[in-house]
Amino acid sequence: MARAIWSGSIGFGMVSIPVKLFGATESKDISFHLLHATCGTRLKQVRWCPTDEQEVPWNETVRGYEFGKDQYVTLTDEDFEKLPLPSKHTIELSAFVKAEEIDPVYYERSYHLAPDERGEKPYALLLQTLEKKGLTALAAITIRKKEQLCALRPKDGALMLETLYYPDEIRAQPEVELDKAKITERELEMAFTLIDLLRKPFDPEEYKDHYREALSQLIEAKLDGRDVVKSPAGRETKVIDLADALRQSVEAAKKGKPKPAARPRARTSARRATRKVS
Amino acid sequence: MGTPTAATVRDVLKQLDAAKDRVTLHADGHDVPVTNLDKPLWAGAGQRKAVTKRSLLRYLARVSRWMLPHLSDRPLFVTRFPNGINGKSFYQKHWDDPPAFARTVAIYSSQGDADGDYLICENLPTLLWLGQMGSLELHAWYSRTEREPDAVTRGRRFTGSEAALDKSVLNYPDFVVFDLDPYDYSGRESRGAEPELHRRAFNRTRKLALQVREQLESLGLSTWVKTSGRTGLHLYLPIVRDLDFDAARDVAQTIARHALKDRPKDVTLDWSVERRRGKIFFDYNQNSRGKSLAVPYSPRRHATATVSAPVRWKELETIYPTDFTLRTVPDRLEAGGDPWDGILEAKQDLGATLGVGGAA
Repeated sequence: MARAIWSGSIGFGMVSIPVKLFGATESKDISFHLLHATCGTRLKQVRWCPTDEQEVPWNETVRGYEFGKDQYVTLTDEDFEKLPLPSKHTIELSAFVKAEEIDPVYYERSYHLAPDERGEKPYALLLQTLEKKGLTALAAITIRKKEQLCALRPKDGALMLETLYYPDEIRAQPEVELDKAKITERELEMAFTLIDLLRKPFDPEEYKDHYREALSQLIEAKLDGRDVVKSPAGRETKVIDLADALRQSVEAAKKGKPKPAARPRARTSARRATRKVS
Repeated sequence: MGTPTAATVRDVLKQLDAAKDRVTLHADGHDVPVTNLDKPLWAGAGQRKAVTKRSLLRYLARVSRWMLPHLSDRPLFVTRFPNGINGKSFYQKHWDDPPAFARTVAIYSSQGDADGDYLICENLPTLLWLGQMGSLELHAWYSRTEREPDAVTRGRRFTGSEAALDKSVLNYPDFVVFDLDPYDYSGRESRGAEPELHRRAFNRTRKLALQVREQLESLGLSTWVKTSGRTGLHLYLPIVRDLDFDAARDVAQTIARHALKDRPKDVTLDWSVERRRGKIFFDYNQNSRGKSLAVPYSPRRHATATVSAPVRWKELETIYPTDFTLRTVPDRLEAGGDPWDGILEAKQDLGATLGVGGAA
């Protein structure tokens, strides 16, 4: 189960409901990395400055907003911190509407909402109220520094939250000219018949991503057949190569290799140590 | 004091058996008050009787002969479960007021930029005192404060700064360790829970362990294995202390990557728990100063009161983690000896074995 991506509370009149937010959807697209075809090494992205002709470290970067061609206004971390974030840890309910009133174009992402410690009772109250009234609540939530409009609705005995686009994020429909398209009674009848034939309840289980399935099978087959491109960093298939790789590790250590500046140190905080339990 | 004699252990057991709910134990010339002896730390279920604090203290006394050598000279941290494995637990590495018989050592910590006192458990009274405090899981560093016999040139200054500690003998581990941790779920786990122990996952883990062992054996390197006491296996490669933690981690990473290439369907090195699903996490990151797996014979937080148990390689095919519990392990050790007998002396010179710099 995924970790909560947000925790805070729902503000509902005088009541505050501690809740956690979990992503409800995930893309199952198979992602690839770009390798150098001739040697199999994974390519590295480099932040390159064409003026100084050098790679630029993170600490020398700044965010720029392009307000005209090649003209930027820069914003620092302090600038971002000054911005107001009113709903940082609360989901403040502001209105109740019928679900049908929200056009699907407004829906952005879906999240599961679960009660946090001692939140069960007020959570259940809000859930039952929405269920009985058949209503959806509108609210604002701040996720990853961005304040967003959202809708809370009951589903299968729990609350779901959908973030919504703001109206100015929805593009206008293109002009559609239909005046000259005259439809006859007979054409309509035929279309109705066709629709009736294909009419059935919505069952998402019937739909599969055939391309992804084929792709997974191809990858599995390649793994089984060991048709694997190995990057030089780990190009050891035989024990003899393991010996070489180990020799290199030990040799580097004995020569007192330069240590990477930010190697992750032993982190032995209470939280981590109790989570890692092997 | 050091390792207690058989007579001392027998004497402590006698005192524990005769005690009501509390008593002051006399062990090796020290007094250790213990209380709530009948408090269950592992709840009973069905045929299985609860394991009380008295049973825990009896266990610690009986295995102390084999456990203390792994704790000696090593900074210790523990996970305490004052109300048993189903109660709240917390993790402790610094102690405000340890008893006189417990040795401590001041070590710099970059968190908080200050020195802190670590406990070193090197005698039976300290072990019993830890048991009294509900310290069920014991973790000791892979490096130690003493330089003999293989690190005589290293420093013994552990305080003041990270740089001092980096140069000290505490930066040179006695082992490279591999933690094989299956994320193969049984399907019965509740949402967000960690994978449960089950046969298929353990079989896969043991196969991977045997393969790693075989490969290192073919390079002339011996590894040792123990159950984690939960779902996985821990492999230890004892080394001469001329590689620091960073180098030990590099060595472990090289071996882990090799295992991944070899068994891409079984092994994962992924940091994201979600992406480990269905595979065995080959954790090489435990090779880090201040980190530690549970020490040999440490009890674990598992319903059946399992312990992290050293096993012989030839036994590995037939054992299962739940074979080794607070009830069974003392008898096993007394009857068959310690499978890890000699590990602390079995140091291997990685450079020489691998022929680094033209040697070997």
